[in-house]
Parts: sequence; C-alpha cells; structure tokens
Amino acid sequence: MSSEIQNVNPTILNAADLPTRLRTLESRKSHSIESALFAGTLFSPGDSIDLPIGSYSSAGSDSEGDLLEEPIDEQEIYDLISTISDPEHPISLGALAVVSLPDISIKQTLPEVHESPLRTVTVLITPTITHCSLATVIGLGVRVRLEQSLPPRFRIDARIKEGTHSTGDEVNKQLADKERVAAALENGTLMGVIAKMLETCQ
Amino acid sequence: MSALQTFLLVVDHDKQEAKKIAERIAQDVESKKTTLIEVVQSLGEYLNDEDPILRGRAVSYLTAVIRALPPKFLSRQQIQVLTAFFCDRIEDAGAIAGLDTLQKLDRFNKPLAEEVAQALFGHFPDNQSRSQSQRFQVYQLLNELMSNYRAALHGMGDNSLTGIVDLMTGEKDPRNLMMVFSILKVVMVEWDVSNHVELLFDSVYNYFPITFRPPPNDPYGITAQDLKDRLQECIASTSLFAPHSIPALLDKLDSTSPNVKKDALNALIACISSYDPNTVSTHSITIWDALKFEILNAQEEFLSELSLQALGAITKRLSEGVTEVSDKLPLAQYLLPITRECNDQLREPQQKQAKPAQEILSAVSAASVVAFILVVQTMVPPLLTIYQEADGIAKQRALLETFSVLFDSAVTVFGEWTSREPEPAVENPLLEFKDQFSDIFGQALMGVIKEEVSIRVSALKGFLRLSTLRNYFQENEVGLFVQYLDEILLKEESVGRDDLKKEAIAALAEISKYKPRLIMDITFPAFVATLPDADDGTAPATYLTTLETLAQISIEKEIFDTLVRRLISKLTFLLQKEQPGSSAYPRAILLTILYVMSQRQMDQDHNIELYYDKIVVTLCRSVAATASGSAKNTILADASVLDVFGRLCNLIVRSLPRPEQDEVAQNIYTLFDDSFLIVPFSKSAPDNHQRTMIISTYLLAALPSDSATIPYTDTPESMSALLADLTERCCSTAGLEPSTHLALLRHLALITNKYLPKPSLPLATAQLDTLLPSDQPIPTTTVLTTSQIKTIFWLSKALILRLAPATTQILTSLLHLLSSPDAQTSTAASRSFSLLLGPDTVLSPTNGANIRLLSKQRIFTTLIPLISQKIREVNTSSTPESSSQTPPHIKPAHLTALSGILSTIPPELVMPELPTLLPLLLQSLDLQTPSGEDSVRAATLETLAVIIRENGVRVIDECGHVQSLVLRLLKTTQYSPGAITSANTPRLRVDALKCLFLLAQTPAAAGDAPAIAKAGKLSPLLPVKNQVLRGLRMVLDDPKRDVRKAAVDARGAWLRGVDDAPDEED
Repeated sequence: MSSEIQNVNPTILNAADLPTRLRTLESRKSHSIESALFAGTLFSPGDSIDLPIGSYSSAGSDSEGDLLEEPIDEQEIYDLISTISDPEHPISLGALAVVSLPDISIKQTLPEVHESPLRTVTVLITPTITHCSLATVIGLGVRVRLEQSLPPRFRIDARIKEGTHSTGDEVNKQLADKERVAAALENGTLMGVIAKMLETCQ
Repeated sequence: MSALQTFLLVVDHDKQEAKKIAERIAQDVESKKTTLIEVVQSLGEYLNDEDPILRGRAVSYLTAVIRALPPKFLSRQQIQVLTAFFCDRIEDAGAIAGLDTLQKLDRFNKPLAEEVAQALFGHFPDNQSRSQSQRFQVYQLLNELMSNYRAALHGMGDNSLTGIVDLMTGEKDPRNLMMVFSILKVVMVEWDVSNHVELLFDSVYNYFPITFRPPPNDPYGITAQDLKDRLQECIASTSLFAPHSIPALLDKLDSTSPNVKKDALNALIACISSYDPNTVSTHSITIWDALKFEILNAQEEFLSELSLQALGAITKRLSEGVTEVSDKLPLAQYLLPITRECNDQLREPQQKQAKPAQEILSAVSAASVVAFILVVQTMVPPLLTIYQEADGIAKQRALLETFSVLFDSAVTVFGEWTSREPEPAVENPLLEFKDQFSDIFGQALMGVIKEEVSIRVSALKGFLRLSTLRNYFQENEVGLFVQYLDEILLKEESVGRDDLKKEAIAALAEISKYKPRLIMDITFPAFVATLPDADDGTAPATYLTTLETLAQISIEKEIFDTLVRRLISKLTFLLQKEQPGSSAYPRAILLTILYVMSQRQMDQDHNIELYYDKIVVTLCRSVAATASGSAKNTILADASVLDVFGRLCNLIVRSLPRPEQDEVAQNIYTLFDDSFLIVPFSKSAPDNHQRTMIISTYLLAALPSDSATIPYTDTPESMSALLADLTERCCSTAGLEPSTHLALLRHLALITNKYLPKPSLPLATAQLDTLLPSDQPIPTTTVLTTSQIKTIFWLSKALILRLAPATTQILTSLLHLLSSPDAQTSTAASRSFSLLLGPDTVLSPTNGANIRLLSKQRIFTTLIPLISQKIREVNTSSTPESSSQTPPHIKPAHLTALSGILSTIPPELVMPELPTLLPLLLQSLDLQTPSGEDSVRAATLETLAVIIRENGVRVIDECGHVQSLVLRLLKTTQYSPGAITSANTPRLRVDALKCLFLLAQTPAAAGDAPAIAKAGKLSPLLPVKNQVLRGLRMVLDDPKRDVRKAAVDARGAWLRGVDDAPDEED
C-alpha cells in the first residue's frame, strides 16, 4: 500500500477546531459548575436526602426534555461521517476536511408534499487532491455509513464537490448509479477497505 | 561378575544402581583396596570394542567413579593422566562429563585446560551431527572452561576463536544457542578479534532475525525474547562489527514484517549505545537517512517511536564529552541534515508530516544540552521568519506548537524552577529569543479574536512551559502571564466548551507550584475582590465560578492557608449581617473550604487545631444560637447549609488529635454551648432544635468507635433509652423536614453500628422487633408508614453491615414486608432494599463504620433464593383460576427489591448466581410500571450491561436465554408516543441499546477458547440478527438524539460483529 500513496502530505485540521454540538444550555450552567467541582469528592446533599430510588427516577426537568423532539440535522450527519478514516492515512475525513459541515444539507425530498417525511441528505466530498483515485471509495464509504445509520425515510446523495476533482463527473455518475453501487458492495476486497474505514466511527 | 560388568548392564535403565556401584568402587579406591590404575585397566577390552555404545558406557564407568571420589583425592599427576586419557577418548560418551568433573578439581590447571580445549576443537569437526544433549555437554564444558580458565583459552588466541566458531556453526537448538551466544560474547569482547571480524559477526548475525516460537508447554522456558536479547548483546558487543552490522540492520528495515523491523531497530539502538562514539559518528548520517523514512511515513506507531529513540541515542553518544559548541563537531555534522529536513517539513506546519518532524526535533533536542543549543540555533530563526510570514491562524497555531516542542526539550535539558539537579553550565540558547517569544505568545493568547480558542490554547500551553522553565522568565514576566490568565478567567465570556478557561485554571495551579507568591500577589486579590459581601440575587451568581477557580489553584500550602482564612472571614461577616441574602452563597463558601480541605492531608496540617477552634467550635455555637433564636440571621437554620457545614466538621474532627476528639464527644449534642437545650430526651423540641441533629450526626460519625465520653453511651440502660428515644423520633416525625429526618435515621444507625458493644446488640434487635409486625408465615394486615419503614431499614442496615447474629432473621422479616397485603407498605419496603447495602456518606468506612467484608455476600446469598422462590410461587399461583390469591403488587415489589440489591452488589458476586437470576431479570424487563417510575427496569438494564460486558453473550447462551433477552431489549428500545404505562423513557431506550451493543461487541468466545474451536461455532446471536437489524432501523428515527446515537452504534456492532455463516469455499 505504502508505495501507492497519492497524497503523502495532506493538510490536517486540528481536532479542537472541528465543528461540534455544544450541549451546555444557559440554564444548566450554574449547576454544572458546582457539580463539576465537587462531584468527584463529595455527594451533593440532594442525592442523599432522597431515599435510594432517587438516583433512577427521572426528575422533573428530564421529563420536560423528553417531550422536546430533536430532529436529525446537518451536525448529526457530520458526526456520523467525519469519523470515517481516510483509506490512505489513519486520519479522519473530518480532520482532512474531506467532509465539512457547510457541505452537508438536508432537504425535503418532495417539497410540494408538505407533510411528507421523506428527506434527502446531500453530502459534498472534497478530495485532498484533484486526481485522487480513491474519491470513489470515499464516496462509497460515506454512503454505506449513512445507509447503515439513517432511518429508511432518508435518501442519500453523496457526490464530489464541483471543481475539486479532475474526473468529478465520472465519479459522481458512478456514485449515483444504484446498480453500480450495489455491484461494488458485493465486491469483497472493496467492502474490506470500506469496513476498515468505518472501524474508527464512534 | 565384576563391578564393571554389572555397571555396564544396569547403567541404561537404573541410574541409581549404577551410581551406587560407582560409589562402592570409589570407596575401595579411597581405602586403597584397589587403585585407580586397576580401575582403568579393568576397562581394557571394552575400550577397544567395535560398538561405540559399549565404549561409551565403559568411559562413563570411569567418569562415575571419579565423580564419586572426594574432590581432594586425586593427585596432580593422576589428574594429568586422566585428562590425557579422556582427551584421547573424547569422542566416546562420558568423556566430556569426565573432563567436566576433572576441571572442577582444585588441582586442575591452565595447561590442562588448554589441552582439553585443544581436544575439543580437534575432535569435533562434525559436532552438529551429534545429538542435542551431546552438543549441550560440549558447550557446557566449554562454558565451564571459559569461566574457570579463561586466561588459558585467551592465550590460545585465534586458535580458540576459530575453534569455538567451528564448534557452534550450524547450531539450531535454542537451549544450546543461549549458551553459544554467551560464550561468543566473551570472545567478542575480550579476544583480539581484528583478524576475524567477519567470521565472528557472521557466526551470530546468521541467526538474525530470530523467528523461534517456543512449543506449547515448553519445559525449558526459553522465549524468543531471551534469544533476541542475547543475540543483540553479541551484535552490539564490539565497534569492530559496525561496518557489517549497521548496513545489515538497516537493510532489514526493508522487510515487510513489522516484527523484523522492530528487532532490527532494537538491535540498532543497542549498537548505538555500546559502540564507541567515533564509530557511531561514522554511521550516523547513514542511519538518519534510513530512519527518516520510517518516521515520516510511519507504518506502525512503535516503529516510529523506536526510530526516534535511535536518533536520540545517536545524539546522546555524539554529545559525550562535548563542552564547546562548534560547527565542526561530528554532532553538528549529524544534526545538519536532520534540521534541514525538519525545516523543510515545517514550512507548511499544518500538514501531516509536520507532526513527525516535530517528533524528530523533540527526540534530538532533548538528548543533550549541546544538541539543544545546535537545534535552537538552526531551527528557531527560520521558524520565527515563517511565523512572521504566516498567512493563517491554523499555520500560526501549528508553529506555536512546534515552538512548544522545543520548550519541552528545554525543560528536559535545563529543568524547571523546582528541579533539584545542578543546572548545566552553559546558557540557555532560548534566552536570546525571550522577548520575541514573549511577544508572539502573548499576542496569540490575548491579541487574536476571542473565539479562536485553539490557537489561544496552544499559546497558553507554550507560555506555561516557558514560565516553568528554570531561570528563563523574570518574576515580572511570569507575572504578566498570570495577569493574562486572570483576565481570561475574570473578564471573558465563556466560549464553547470553555477549553481556554479550563486550561487557564490548570496553568494557574501549575504556576502556583513554582511561584506561589505571584498567585498570592496577583491572582488572589483580583479574585477575592470579585466575591460579593452577600448574594442579594440581583447579579448572576458569578461567585460560583470564582470560588471554583480559587479552590482549584489553592494547592500549595501557603495559598491554601490564605484562602481558608479569607473565606472564614467572609463567612463570619455574613453571619453578622441582618440581611444576608440567599443561603446559596454561605453554602458555596463552606463547600469551597470543604473541597480544598478534602484535597489535602488534614491530619498532617499543623493548623488543624486552629481550624477546629475557628470553624468547628465557633460555628457550632452559632448553630446553637441560631436554633435558640438569638442569632442575627437564619443562615445556619438552612438545612442544606447545615449539611455542608456538618461534612466540614466531620472532616476536621476526623483529623484532630485524641484530646480534642474527646472534647467534641462531650459536646455533640450541646454544640459547645452549655445553655443549649439538647435534643435527645427533650419532649417538645421545636423543629429549629431538632435540625441541629444534622450537625450532631456528622460530629458523632467523625469520632473514633472507642470514644468513652459520648453522652448516654456509658451504661446499657442509658444506651437502651437513647435508642428508644431516637427510634421514636424517627418513626413519629410526620412533620419533620426530610434532612432532619435523615440525620436522625443516620444517628440511630451510627449508634447501633459503631457504638453499641457486641453484648448489647439485643437492645437494637429488640427495638427492631417492636417496629416489625409479628413474624408470622401469613402476612399480617398491619399498615406501616413510610417513616416506620425507613426506620426499620436503617436499623436493619446498621445491624446487617456488622453481621449481627440475627442477620438472617432480620432479612427474612424484611422480605415478609414485601408480601404485605397493603400495597403501599409493600412498595415502600421494596424500594428501601437498595438502602441496605448502598454506600452512605455518613455510615461509611472513612467514618469507621463497622462494615464486615462478607456482609454483601451474606445478604445476597440469603436474599436471592428467597426472592426467586417467592416469585416462582406467585407465577404458578397466578393462573386464571387462582388469581385472587396474590395481590398484583407482590411480584413487582419483589422484583424491585431484587433490583435494589443488585445495584449495590459487585458484579463478581452476581455471576455465579446467573442461572437463577437471568429469568428474574427478564421478568423485571416485562414489568409494567407507570411512566416516570422506570427505576426497576433501569437498574435491571444496568445489571445486564455489566453481566454482558464482563462475560459476553456466552453466559446468556449457556442459560438458553439469548432470544428472549434480545426480544425484550428490542421492545424496550421502541419509542411509543402517547403510551401511559410502560412508556420507554429515552434513558431506558439508550440503556437497552447499550445492552444490544455490548451483546454484539463483546467477543463471543471471550478469548479463552482457541481460534479453531471458535471458527467452527456460529455466533448464538445469528438467529436473531435480521430481526435486530430490522428493529433497530426503526429506532434510528427516534426523536431523541442520544437514542439515535446509541442505535447507530448498536446497529454498527451487529453489522460488524455478528458474522453470517462462514464462506462456503473454505
């Protein structure tokens, strides 16, 4: 493999700079500071005053949150695919900027039917170099990961971002062709490569 | 038959007998009944026999006789004759052993050793055609000669060198090789080998790389690593090998096997550390050229690490004895191509290969002072130029990290402020760039926009390294950094995950170790100034963050003392105020004191008595005053404040010397105020008074169990009265605050568990009996209040933990409560079971509670069969025709009790009971509970998760429950909007998904079965795989993100981990 590496020295983004979801809500903040400081050593008195069941029963604030629906959004799609490793380097697609948050979009599949639950996810892939022959494999990996991880009402459209690849149209045609994708997924060697890419998904 | 003939007959099958014969003859020789010459002569005809076996036995006879003789018996002449004889017959079996015996004798000498060696070299051109054990004997003799008569062998020079090499050439047995390598190493190190370098080198290098793998149950216990180590020592033994060894080892780096590369690198490191510096220097650049590739294109992490080690080792060797830095040094010549390469790679420092380049810099610059100076001289100016021209923040950030790598090396080489070892004589080359670094890092930390967290974090870390570096920054320069940190913490809004603030706090804590004065002078006043006099609720409570930061940086003693003093005065001031505002503020102050004290060894703090006086005594009096209504405000009437204060008292009292503890014991109820109306035995204590029992309980908990001065514990009568009084208070406290009630319950439990002497235990049992409904097989209809049930369980807990004689009886009575026809009693009791073994902050080992090691096991093994039996009874009796017999709450109550016990039992106790438990756990999953009360199912899922994680699917398969478990888990993962009963809360759904994930993730065969056995067996999960995948596909659309995430993971694990039937082609 080592002799075939096409881009030996790609640019890497710092892990801390990748987009993540921030869960700290303003209301919880003051509480979290106290528990962060003192949780390790001591119980907060609230826990022990309640009789044992306390630790399991859902508190009021929790059930409030239960009703709140959290729809699948772009960040969630990003979290699903950014941890896939590149087939050439043991580095994630997110760190290599092969996938990025602005290049993911979720749209109604049938905009005219308002209540239709169908959604289309579009992921634009940016290869690290314009002649990368592994772009197809990366596209396939993204596709497989999303098909495994999204509910059936989602349609997946993974393609190369315009102008980032010398044979982008060619690759896109391959990725969009259902039969060719299905045939590729029957290929043991190819699936082996993809399985290895997906191993790092957390 | 002569002795010889008998010997010849028995020697092969009866070693003992043969030995006896030889000993007899030896005695004869000794007592002059016969002579040695006669013995030799008796061998006569056999010695010339055609049959080598017979000849060998004959020689063995002589050897055996000699061996049986006392060590001083043989004269020098006799030894000489015998040696000549054995050398002559050396090819016969037994001769080697004979020589070995002779050379051990005191009268053996150097010329004889030479003769023996000559004989060995002369007669064994065909050594390798002999058997392993014969070769082993030869090497052993050689080895003995080597250790006893090395001078003789050494004197033979080339003769012995080639002789030894010839003897061992072609040796393949690992046992023999171990010996051969160690003999050869002596030759390599001590002989003049200059004429035979290649011969010697080849003789050992032929074995590289070692691929030996010991057979299973190898009795000799030689591992591949043993062989590798000895071979490596040989290769590294003399610099003369370098022209052969280094190119050969570097060639091995082209191997495709990472293990071979690893061996080659290890050997290379050994060579570098042992060859002389000049030799290392000759090859240093060749080695760098080869290793460069390994590091920049790292195949495996460990290979790049070893390569870096090798580069560092070369740097160290080349720095030996160098005091003056100059370009002419071999070290400078070696470092030149390295720094050039790193410079090239670091031109674009955010790219992938910048990382290995940084690692190379780190490895060479940390190796020695001289190397550090050279690297800094060649690297820092160009890097500074790149930084000035850098066009993006990402690039600047990567450069800051590169500088930090050099700072780390500087710390390694020059030490930190607190380092003890002497400082290097030369000046730190970084000093020249001090102002530039200070500017760059200060600018990156404070000058960029606030949202650029990652570059600021990098700058902060670099700045911190420079601040800790010995004799680098002046006091005021570190002070500037501290001010930056204060500003970040006090003035800036939080951004994202607050990484920068966390780092800033950590940095202040770090600096406080080196420069506590700076923290005291700059940070402390700035922070304390922001603390309000009272929390009047107008401003957001920023004091929490401030207190948190102060707590975390107050590690050093000096700072700790100041912090505690300042906080106590804040608190005293608050207590004097008419309008003190929210009680959250005094509570936070107390928590902060508690936190910093719990981080220290308070029993070694010499201020402990001061804290006792200032905190425990003074504040306890204030508590008493507040309870009596004579205080300025009601801060100390707030239960949550009292709770924190109680814990603080507990911590301090535990660390006090004994006399003070005795004083505390007398005052646990009076609270150091003699006029205070104590709670026990007072008929009509108001709530305010009863609340002080929170403090009394924490004080009591802190005292040693042999305290004699605790009120009412001196006689059984007063003890009994105290127990009765407390029990009554616990039971009839309908109007009491929950925290006061809990304090009373704990007080009762403490007295029972810790202070009740063993003979008085019946006192407590009697109290318990008054509470429990009379013990009958048919449950009574008594209805118990929640308070009563809590009292029963706390009292039981206290008794059970010390394994009181009545333990089994108590447990049975508790179970009877579950069968009460009154649903409320039964449910409340069932929920209290988790209390029995659950950890408690007051009744804890730290507080000296009497908790026997086997108590958990005892309770578990007593309860589980009883619960299991009861549930079986309920199941069989609840068939349609007899359903009226058992009320519907009985079964859930038992399952709840079970889950309560399970959640407090370590998993290793649970495992042996698994066949009994699994059906119960599955029934718990079926339990229909009103939404919001999912505690039983949550606890069950947690237990299941532990079971699966520890043992994999195997144990569940063995009990035959895989299918039913998977189906129930799947059912629990479903989102059912609108369902009132048994709605799966998000938490339940996540937990169930986690169990499914673990099922597929944990290796089915748990590693102990060999691969072959595993391959033949299909995964027990296979039959349900499709069902699970289909079911989980729906869960992927759950409205909750956490559930979806868990579903993705679980589905991924089942897709990956559960294999279909193996391919048919093989």
